[in-house]
Amino acid sequence: MQTIELLEILSGIFRKVLKRDDIFLTENTTAYDVEGWDSLTNMVLIGEIEKTLGLRFTFREIVKLKNVGDLCHAITEKRK
Amino acid sequence: MSFISFEFVILFVICFLIYYIVQKRLRKYVLLAASCVFIGYFNLLFLVTALFVSILTYCIGIMIESARAKRYLQTIYWSGISCLILCWSVFRHVDVLTGNASFIFPLGISFYTFQAIAYLTEVYWEEERAEHNLPDFMLYMLLFMKFLSGPIERPADLLSQIKELRPATYRMMSYGLKLIVVGLVKKLVLADHISPYIDGIFSSIYTASGAQLLMACLLYPVELYADFSGYTDIAIGGAMLFGLRLSPNFNRPFVAQTTTDFWRRWHISLSSWVRDYLYMPLTSLTRHLGSSGIVISLLVTFVALGVWHGVGLNFVVYGLIQGIIIVWELKTQLVRKRVSQKIGHWLYGLLSGVRTYLVFALSLVFFKAPTVQAAFYFIRHISFQTNSCWKEINIGMSDHICIVSGSALLLMLLYEFGMSRRNLLHQLEMQSIAIRWTMYYLIVFAILAYGKLGTENFIYLQF
Repeated sequence: MQTIELLEILSGIFRKVLKRDDIFLTENTTAYDVEGWDSLTNMVLIGEIEKTLGLRFTFREIVKLKNVGDLCHAITEKRK
Repeated sequence: MSFISFEFVILFVICFLIYYIVQKRLRKYVLLAASCVFIGYFNLLFLVTALFVSILTYCIGIMIESARAKRYLQTIYWSGISCLILCWSVFRHVDVLTGNASFIFPLGISFYTFQAIAYLTEVYWEEERAEHNLPDFMLYMLLFMKFLSGPIERPADLLSQIKELRPATYRMMSYGLKLIVVGLVKKLVLADHISPYIDGIFSSIYTASGAQLLMACLLYPVELYADFSGYTDIAIGGAMLFGLRLSPNFNRPFVAQTTTDFWRRWHISLSSWVRDYLYMPLTSLTRHLGSSGIVISLLVTFVALGVWHGVGLNFVVYGLIQGIIIVWELKTQLVRKRVSQKIGHWLYGLLSGVRTYLVFALSLVFFKAPTVQAAFYFIRHISFQTNSCWKEINIGMSDHICIVSGSALLLMLLYEFGMSRRNLLHQLEMQSIAIRWTMYYLIVFAILAYGKLGTENFIYLQF
């Protein structure tokens, strides 16, 4: 799956969970850039991503995610 | 040895002079020696406990690093964490368990235990490398400016500075001194003036009038904030004189419009600690439950945060109130947004700010009252009757104290509002020498004339 395609899917998940239509993720997007993406919603987002893409992150993998680019990379690695 | 004591001033000045006289490589030893004197001066056993916990953490950190990719890595990590929690719990509860009320809780243990847990967890998560230099690590754990009540420092923030100890620049020293003065004003001119009267009401809950209970409830957050943020300003300012930058602990908490936001502004080093090392692992474990997992994690986290403050059901209730309100805020985000659009953002912001303050003030009744029953009695008997006389409303404070502490509160709020717009302390530095020194003399005069000298205790020392 291409990164652009993955970013589209992730943007859709973020829009659904955070109930906002104006979310367009890039690889450099961090929690500071998206209103509503905070410690309270982070794990709901991760859970939804796991459910949609059919994969499972360990906690240590989640801790290492610093931006959406890291998330895309981790998903690509998992799907290999 | 409190920050506001003659002994501390002597220790600080001697340490400061030697720190800048000796060679660079010896500076950390000067700070370490001063920290040991500072801790040992309270009680030698406090020093022994702190040294034991620090050395134990140091050894376990190295063991975790050398056990990477081995099966017993988890065993080592969890044994270390269990040892730290067990040690803290024993000291915290030993007076209750043994019935010996004379047992003294080692000062600072809650704070350095949290720091030790943070360090081991960062090493375990491979976010940090284990520290192999024992003096550096001991200084990270025991540094006297943050030993008693934090800020709780992360290894990435403080250890890296300790490894590259640099002398403070003139600008840094000047800023640090100003912060110390701000802290002294908060503590001596505001907190210490109102604390005896608020303490008096809380120690006579069953005889105080409804209006007095109301005023004590409303004023206690102000006292707690002035006391604790005053301590933190002194700690951060003092560390700056040695070229060290400690983490901020407060960011204008009373402007928060939600309890969620409040906890991002209040005791930041503790709330971010529980977020990263308790709440995040919990939500990870419960994420298959969806939003219910978040609710469970929030409640457990805030109850734990309450219990950290002390033994007793009242601290559980204190934490639970915070958790329940944050869950409510999470669930009602959309409704509250609609209300805000309907009544106007300004009015909604004001009402939300007042609501957040009142919720915190009410929850603090459980924090301050000796038992849950006393706290419920307190809240049930709060009176909103408008015919209360001034003697009841001022909870026994003289007009002089009301004016002094009221002015200090107003000044503190104005200062914090100004700091949120631009750095007033830097602005002051840019003024002419006449303006600057007039300000300095005025503030020092205000502290000497209106400060309540002679009190040494800070509220958070008991934790």
